[in-house]
Amino acid sequence: MTPTIGTSLLDRIRARIGWESPARTTTVEAGHLRRFCAAIGDPNPRWLREAPPTFLVALGTETPEIPEVLEYGKGWLNGGDRFEYQEPVRPGDTITSRTMLTQAYEKQGTSGSLLFLIFDTEFTNQHGRPAARVRGTRIRR
Amino acid sequence: MSAQAGDQLPELVKHPTTRQLVQYAGASSDFYEIHYDQDFARGTGLPGVILHGLLKTAWLAQLVTDWAGPQARLKTYEVSYRGLDFPDRPYRCRGLVRSVEGGLAELEVWGEDADGNRTTLGTATVELGEEAP
Repeated sequence: MTPTIGTSLLDRIRARIGWESPARTTTVEAGHLRRFCAAIGDPNPRWLREAPPTFLVALGTETPEIPEVLEYGKGWLNGGDRFEYQEPVRPGDTITSRTMLTQAYEKQGTSGSLLFLIFDTEFTNQHGRPAARVRGTRIRR
Repeated sequence: MSAQAGDQLPELVKHPTTRQLVQYAGASSDFYEIHYDQDFARGTGLPGVILHGLLKTAWLAQLVTDWAGPQARLKTYEVSYRGLDFPDRPYRCRGLVRSVEGGLAELEVWGEDADGNRTTLGTATVELGEEAP
């Protein structure tokens, strides 16, 4: 079988599995937490003392711009997200996150092929303890 | 709280607007234009701007934490996006208890568009806390 351009692009993307973002360290600000809760429309007073479940994504899981990945398709879709919580995140905490590309595979959709990318992000607090882990499935189409 | 398999979570209905999408883009630093720029969204083949998947995820989390109460802790939470959702249409968040064992409740949650399609499917494991049965 003759390799196609599509195959070689997928090969180049798959060669980036293991790509890791630089570590990012952010202090959780009470004002940011308030703005986030206002944006999602969740008035629970618990979230003044503790980050709501999906706040972590606002600290650093935006999809990394890996050039080979951006050559595939016209845009992004979100496939899913999985959160594992170890320790609550609170205002004043200093959280370090690292994201890794752990899987890349193609699937045939109804309107052409789709590229699935799995990104794993680990969040660690200022005590060096794991706070949470997020697995994001991002799709190029 | 006393939870039992088969219990339904009190429904949560959201009424997203483009204003809220911009607000969420800013608060989450997700500035992908398909969530606030109609021409850009159409240019990628979408019918118009769409809701952030993670905004729907935040609502389904609220459904769970409102039901579970202040003593409860979310242990794991997973969602899968199965359809697009648009501003200016109501979004219904629903869920039920699959099982309760050893103070842990396994929940099934989902979000429905205005036509009743389940566009987001999820599961959650909740530690019910001191008041658990």
